[in-house]
Amino acid sequence: MNAMQIANSMPMWITCGVAVVLVIAQAVIFVKKAFEAGPKVGLSKEQMKHAVKSSALTSIGPSIVILSGMLSLLISVGGPMAWMRLSFIGSVMFESIAAGIGTGSVGVALGVDELTPLALTMAVWTMILGSIGWIIFSTFAADKMDKVQKKMSGGNSAVMGLISTGAMIGVFSSMVAQRVVTLNKNALATVLGAILMYVMMQLSKKVPALKEWNLTIAILVAMVIVAVI
Amino acid sequence: MSNSNFYENEYLPQMHKIGKLIGVLAVCASFFPAIVLGLVYGLWPNWSALATCFVSAAASFAFLWFMEPISYYPVVGPVGTYMAFVSGNISNMRIPCASMAQVSAAVEPGTNQGSIIATIGMGVSIIINVVILSVGVIGGQAILSALPAEVTAALNYLLPALFGALFVQFAMKSLKLSGIVLVLACILYVAINSGVFNFIPGASNWLGTLVCVFGAIAINILMNKGKKEA
Repeated sequence: MNAMQIANSMPMWITCGVAVVLVIAQAVIFVKKAFEAGPKVGLSKEQMKHAVKSSALTSIGPSIVILSGMLSLLISVGGPMAWMRLSFIGSVMFESIAAGIGTGSVGVALGVDELTPLALTMAVWTMILGSIGWIIFSTFAADKMDKVQKKMSGGNSAVMGLISTGAMIGVFSSMVAQRVVTLNKNALATVLGAILMYVMMQLSKKVPALKEWNLTIAILVAMVIVAVI
Repeated sequence: MSNSNFYENEYLPQMHKIGKLIGVLAVCASFFPAIVLGLVYGLWPNWSALATCFVSAAASFAFLWFMEPISYYPVVGPVGTYMAFVSGNISNMRIPCASMAQVSAAVEPGTNQGSIIATIGMGVSIIINVVILSVGVIGGQAILSALPAEVTAALNYLLPALFGALFVQFAMKSLKLSGIVLVLACILYVAINSGVFNFIPGASNWLGTLVCVFGAIAINILMNKGKKEA
């Protein structure tokens, strides 16, 4: 068996499938618990339905981007690993760098040389060892950070609100600034996305049915314009 | 009062328990494919080469293991942290979906209602992500290679547009804060790109987001403190 046949073999599909099932199980359990808890903190069924719908619509664009990233990973480490790593823990950038480090250590340049079984093994192990730090730290620090945040705000809900709004604006400013300062087509796409979103927000004040489609329309139109230029 | 008692005393402790359990299971599950390679095909890594791989990967990413959960925590909250790091794709998918869910349900981030809506938004995005990837991996290269090169090139511009649009969505609510933070963020990134912070290991990967998040929090609190006194 060559490396690619091993990478795409049934035992690999099954073990990678276990991890994917775990991610789905987590999502289903947490959504179910949130739906049960919702009415008890004063959320209406309507509000929760709106949340599901708009999140589903927002997911589609990024999912397709991740899907296209999976293509490059699929060629280099096989279907099961690419599928598992991008459903679970990973991001396209991390996985390709980690896989490259792994295969490089035994003299195989990822995507250039033919993959050997040893290089595949090194890539798989490096991807795993390089990424468990995120899960271990976030899993064990989540409740501690909860305590720190409460202490910082002194249990004052107005301050908690200021922290969250500030954090949200900080995250998106960071993402936008990082792309705008490159002054290339990515910067243009960012600015156009922003302008079109503003236009859609004004428009949907007059046509409320558009509201949930604002984001999807804005980013698709911005993408097409930048691609055509 | 009973609302927040339920949230603090029943909902959160249960979520912490489930979140930790799944986190531990996820670490174990991530090793399964590597163990199968060993047990079924007799393929074990060259351990000393693997040690150098781990060191190189850690040199690039170890700061992110700590900085990302800390930076994103104020945005996604405790329950969101468990979900986001097991499922990955945080800034490009989990946070956008959680915040759009909050917008359409008309709840404020940082409240108990906001946290529950964010959890629903992230969960839905995880399920959709896995479904789309599963269809993609089964249809695999056949589907993807059928796409013309123009389409795959155009997809590169989707995420930048998404971040621009999301920024506007949230900036409209607090124009002054967003303006200040955005200008400072641009200055920061110009500095990072020109290598001002190269003395900090891996700074280009994590410094920007960390400083922006905590800087924006600090500015927001200071601005509102000033308002009350005036």
